[in-house]
Parts: sequence; structure tokens; C-alpha cells
Amino acid sequence: MKKNFSAKLLSVLLVFAFALAGCSGNSASNSGGKADASQEVTYATTSKVVGLSPIMTNDSVSSAVNEQIYETLFYRDTKTNEIKGLLAEKAETPDPNTWVITLKKGIKFQDGTEFNADAVKYTFDKIKDPKTAAPRASLLEPIKSIEVKDEQTVVLKTAKPYGPMLAALTHSNAAIVSPTADKKQDLMKDPVGTGPFKFKAKENGEDIVLEANKDYWQGAPKLKKVTYKVVPEITTAVSMLQTGKVNFLDGVTSELMPRVEKLKNVSIEKKKGTPVYYMAFNMEKAPMNNPEFRKAVAYALDTKSYVKKLRGLGVDSRSFIGPELFGYDPSSEQKAIQYDPAKAKEIVKANGFDKQQVTLLAANTASYMNMAEVFQAQLEEAGIKAKIETLEWGTYLEATQNGKFDITVAGWSNVTGDGSELLYPRLHSANSGSTNIGRYKNPELDKLIEASRSTVDQDERKALLKQANELVLTDLPVIPLYHGVASMATDKSLQGINLEPTGQWTLYKAERK
Amino acid sequence: MAGLIIRRVLQLILLLLGISFIVFLSMHIAPGDPADIIGGPTASKEDIEGIRESLGLNEPLMVQYFDYLKGVIHGDFGFSFQTKESVSEALLSRFPNTLNLAIASIIVAIVIGVTAGIISALKHNSWFDGAATVISLAGISIPNFWLGAILILVFAVNLQWFPVGGLTEPFWTVEGMKQLILPAITLGTGSAAMIARMSRSAMLEVIRADYVRTARAKGVKEKTVIMVHCLRNAMIPVITVIGLNFGFLLGGTIITEQVFAINGVGRLMIESIAARDFPMVQGAVLLVATLFVLVNLVVDIVYALIDPRIGFE
Repeated sequence: MKKNFSAKLLSVLLVFAFALAGCSGNSASNSGGKADASQEVTYATTSKVVGLSPIMTNDSVSSAVNEQIYETLFYRDTKTNEIKGLLAEKAETPDPNTWVITLKKGIKFQDGTEFNADAVKYTFDKIKDPKTAAPRASLLEPIKSIEVKDEQTVVLKTAKPYGPMLAALTHSNAAIVSPTADKKQDLMKDPVGTGPFKFKAKENGEDIVLEANKDYWQGAPKLKKVTYKVVPEITTAVSMLQTGKVNFLDGVTSELMPRVEKLKNVSIEKKKGTPVYYMAFNMEKAPMNNPEFRKAVAYALDTKSYVKKLRGLGVDSRSFIGPELFGYDPSSEQKAIQYDPAKAKEIVKANGFDKQQVTLLAANTASYMNMAEVFQAQLEEAGIKAKIETLEWGTYLEATQNGKFDITVAGWSNVTGDGSELLYPRLHSANSGSTNIGRYKNPELDKLIEASRSTVDQDERKALLKQANELVLTDLPVIPLYHGVASMATDKSLQGINLEPTGQWTLYKAERK
Repeated sequence: MAGLIIRRVLQLILLLLGISFIVFLSMHIAPGDPADIIGGPTASKEDIEGIRESLGLNEPLMVQYFDYLKGVIHGDFGFSFQTKESVSEALLSRFPNTLNLAIASIIVAIVIGVTAGIISALKHNSWFDGAATVISLAGISIPNFWLGAILILVFAVNLQWFPVGGLTEPFWTVEGMKQLILPAITLGTGSAAMIARMSRSAMLEVIRADYVRTARAKGVKEKTVIMVHCLRNAMIPVITVIGLNFGFLLGGTIITEQVFAINGVGRLMIESIAARDFPMVQGAVLLVATLFVLVNLVVDIVYALIDPRIGFE
């Protein structure tokens, strides 16, 4: 009897399990993948979309959605690195403090509102309004007034000449929103821009669905539907890519690259990027404020070997202004200190740096912790005792801004692609204790940075940035470790995604074949 | 029963008040500033200050707390610092996923745990008993993230029997059930192991009791002896474990939700903690605490229904 009861229970369980498994068939693989070539795609993101207003968000995932919905006045051509008009026709500077921007005609927002100078003024005023508390209000801080000259012309006035103006206007946070929509609805939930895709729905509480904007001013996109699916675990996201449940993902880590490279239905695109990863010193603490110590660290770091281990996801360059940024000059590489362990040991011994211990702070994400471990070992080899300390992201941000660290591995995404917008926030004394986490203060560098920002002549700016970069490479408030590579893994049926060096991408020309 | 419920509800109010204060204080004391996270590393000092002001974080702590409490009393749990969505709406939209997952997991745990426990007790010291003990130990020891990843690789990627992740279809549909199976097994394994061990020891105790021997001596069918005489009496400690586990499952689905890309309360809570999204964390903790207390209340009621000697007082 006992046997009978157990056997019955087991049979019921087995039948149920097999029935479900049988029902499943291969549906997972059929939900996407090559077999289904409809113009619908799903992208896997490891973080949720914070919001759909370019004014109120400053995270890369929100930007990935907002770049399809909204457009900026200018964009950086990824092939030539030149800044070209997108919603704007052209920009003129009758005097160094005035930017006259002529807008393109015949463009409408997705809600039918006319795109014109009023919309630009509305957007920029809203970003600058302290009541808005826009996270990137500082982007337009140099602009003192925005005037509407006529329907197609907007005039931006600055208190001081501002060289990177057009670069700032390429930033996704400076995208233009529909004033009509912004006045009547919350753009964080219900966005309206001029872009090729418009918001359709939020599904399952977090997945964002976009649909083609058939009336897009450059012609309707080929893709009909785009879904942003939140998959927090990157390994799960890769499994979904493998089974066709998602069609593309970005930010594949070097650890996962071997697995992704083996997937037959997936192609990988890599593009040299704008982000820079570097070691920053707390300049208010000893021995970091000793130039000899920083020099010893620079000699001790074998960045070339590190980049080799990144499986093509890093560019080896010791220049702080990286190869993909405006202001980079290849000749500056020669000014940078290269790996020389013997010299590192010599300086360490001569100055007694081996008798002190420093902490190497890293945010607790895989890439930063990996960097910290590798470079700590190299410092130890040179005789510098470094203890790794890892902090969760929010705590890390607070600790670095408050100067609670000795050395840290940090990064900067360089969304505008302009060297001034790297040096000013990261190394200008005006930003000490906020974005200038190392609290570096050098009047000579300040002057060069200011000049690079206040000069409107772009050739002159380039020369100034070269000088400033070389000063950084010799004084070493930071030591560049490598420059990022934007990467994307896509289902082979999906083609034409424009991957930008910033890691952002646009789907306007993408289609499934 | 009404007395018990009223007493528990009053206790719940006091408990929630205490929890809200502890969570509020700990979130504010913990390092990390919501404005820093919203602004990100690229935001300037002025940008960060503007955000902090707009979130009301420059107000004195007690003012912030009482403002929050005032809202909660009026049913307003506030808005997310990060996404600006209503906390109540965000929690309500995610709660069904967590509840479905917790129910599916506890079903897996009960079916496997109770069955294995009973069979182990009936076949005391047999190979089955030994195997069940070893498997139970493994079930408690295996971390969810590892088990989840292995199940995905085997059953979703290689065999393609189940989808890789997501919980997007209603649970009563075949698709919805398929989406639930792997996460439910991942989450339910640990509880199944605990329930199995508890069922086994409770059954062993009961099987040796005098009244069971008497029932057998009287010639009662073995099935009746097990199902009526033994199981009912062995169930009291098992129900306690089931109730506690269900409470934990409701609040402890974080890792499984993360691995299987399920948009539930656990994941919302962990994301909100990382973003220092105070109103969202407080809302989620209060929800989980309320559920925990309610589950315990249900367990107490079930006790009394199973064993009339316990009663409701």
C-alpha cells in the first residue's frame, strides 16, 4: 500500500513535468532568432530605464532609449569626428559670445507640434531652470541667454566665449523635447521627440516598447517595433541572445567574450570608443602629492599587457585625451611614461615609498575590481604596498567626492567627444571635490583648459588641448590605463545598427534580413 | 478568531511604525547620496545640489520622516527619487510576479519536501532515506544563483524546454507555467530541503506514538494510519516551517528574480537600495513586513484548524 501511494504521487509529478516540457517544444528558440525576420527587435539591458526625459535622466540605459525618440541639434560624425547639424542646419559665431543657430525646416515632433526656435528655447530654458534640477544642467551652464530671432533661428549668448558649444549640443541630455507635450504630460513616462521611433508602451512594469515613427522627417525607419528588455544578469542575457529571445545587447565584458564569440547566430561589432579608464590620485594626501611617487606608479603599470587580456575591448594609449576625442594628438604619446619596472623600483627605493601603505579604491563592479587586482599586483612588484578597498557604487561616488581615498581606478565616458569636456570636469580646480575627485589644482593647467573652452577657433582649441594633455602626462595627477571600446553582440539577422564610439547606438538604419 | 486578527492588526501597525523608522534612519545613515547617483559621476557640484534640494534632502531628518509618515497615513507612499513613479504603483505592478513566484516555489517545496520527508520517515534508514538526507543537505547548501544558472543552461539553452527568463505571461497559461517552472525550482529547492527534514523528523516522532500503534493493532488500513493519524499530527511543525519559508520567499526572491530577469518586488528593492531611492525602499520593506505578519497570522489560524486544542486565543 505504501509503495502504491508513493508510486502514484511520483507518476503524477512526472506526467505533469513531461506535459509542460512537451508543451514547451522549442518555443524559446522560435520567439526570435533567424526564423522570425519580422521587423521587430528586442534589446537586453542589464539596468532598468530610469526615465524617458532627456532633461531629467543621466544614465546610459535611459540615453539608449532616448536617442531613438529624441534628437539633438548637432551630432558628431563617427567617421570624420566632425560635428554636423542634425535638427540644426548650421551654426555661426558673429562674435565669440554669440552662437546663431539656424534650424532645419519642416520637422515635426511625434505629437504634431512644429519643431522651431521656440521648442529649442523651451528645452534649454527648462534644462537651465534651477527648479527643474536637471542632472546635467551644467552642460548648458556657459549659456547666459537663449533668444528666438525668428521661427528657424535661435541665438545663444554666453558670458565668456565657449569653444565646446557645439560638442555640448551633441550631448543626448541636450536633446529637444516637444514643449506642448512637456506642458501637458510627464515626459519621464510619456516622451515626445522628433526621432525615428516613438514610445508605445511600458510592459511588465519595466520593459520599454517603441514603434516606428512613420512621419519621421528623414523617412520612416525599417524596424517596426523595438523592445528594451531588462535582464539584470549578463549571463542570462547572453543565453537569451543564444536562444533568440533577444536580438542584441551591448557592453559584453571581456570575461564573457569567449562565450559570445562561439555563438553561431551572433555577430560582434567593436568600435574604438571615447571612454577613458585611469588611475586618479588624491592630491591632498601624501605620498600621492609627491610627483616622484606618481612617476614610480606610472613606471610600474604594465598597461599594454592588461589591454591584451581585454580581448579587443580596450585601446592601449597612455594619453589622457584618448584617440577618439577632439584634442588628441598622436605625438603626445611620446610624452607619456611607459612601463619600466626597473625605474619604478629605483624611484620607490630612493624615496622610501616601500615603507608606506596606500589604499587602492575601486567601485565593486567586475571591470573596476579586475583593474584594481591586476594593477595592485604590479604596484606590489615595484615595491609599493597597495591595499584594495572596494565599495558599492553609491558609496564609492560619495567617498571619492569627499576625498576618502588614496588612489582609485576611475572612468569617464566622454559623451561629447571633446577633450575640454574631459579636462574641465576632471582636472580643473573649479571642480575640485566634485567631478575633480583627485582635488588637483594646477593654475597652469587651469589656464590651458579655460583657454581651450573659451576659444571658438577649433584649430586653436586643438593646439591648446594638446598642450594641456601633455602637461597632464608629465605632472601625472592621473595615469591613463586604457581607452574603452564600444561593443555590441547582435543576432546575424539584424543589420545596420550605428554603434557610436560613446557606446550609444541608433537604430534608424537598422533592419532585419 | 476575530480577537486574534484584531490583536495582530494592532501589533502590525506598531511593527510597521518601528520598521519605517529603522529603515528611514538606516537609509539616511548609510553612506551614499541619492543625488550623487541620479546625477552620476559627470554631474557638477551645482547639478547635485539642485537635485538634492528638489528631493527635499536638505530638510532636517525628522521633518523628512514626519512628512513621509503623514503621506503614508493618507495612503501616499511617495514617489521614487530616481524614476519619479508612484511607489504604490511600482510595488503593485511588481507584486503579482513576486507572489506568483513565491506561491509556485512553495508548491514545489511542499510537494517535494513533504513527499520526500514522509517517504524517508516510512522507509527509515533505507537507501531512499539516506539519499533524501544527502539531497536535502545539498538543497540547503546550493546557492540560488548557481542553481538558476545551471538550470538555464541545461533546460533553457541546451534542451530548450523552458524559456531562459522573464515572467510576462499569466501563470494559468501554458507559457506562464513554463516561465515559472525553472525559477520556482531554483527558489523552492532550499525550502523543499528544510521541509523534507522537518517532515521526516515530525513523522518519525508520530509513527512511534502509542495511538498509531493502537490504530494499527485495531487493523486500520496503513493508508489511513499514515494520512489521517500520522500526517495530521505531524503537520504542526511542518506548517510552521512552510509558513516561515513562504514569508521568506515573499521577501527573498531577489537573487532568483535577478537571474531569471523577473520584474518583482525583490529586484525592485535591491535596485532601489543601490540607487538610495529611499521612498521606494521604505515602501518595499513595509510591504514585505506586512506580508510576513499576515502569513504568520494565516499559519496561526491553520494551526487551530488542524489541532482544535490550540485554539485562537
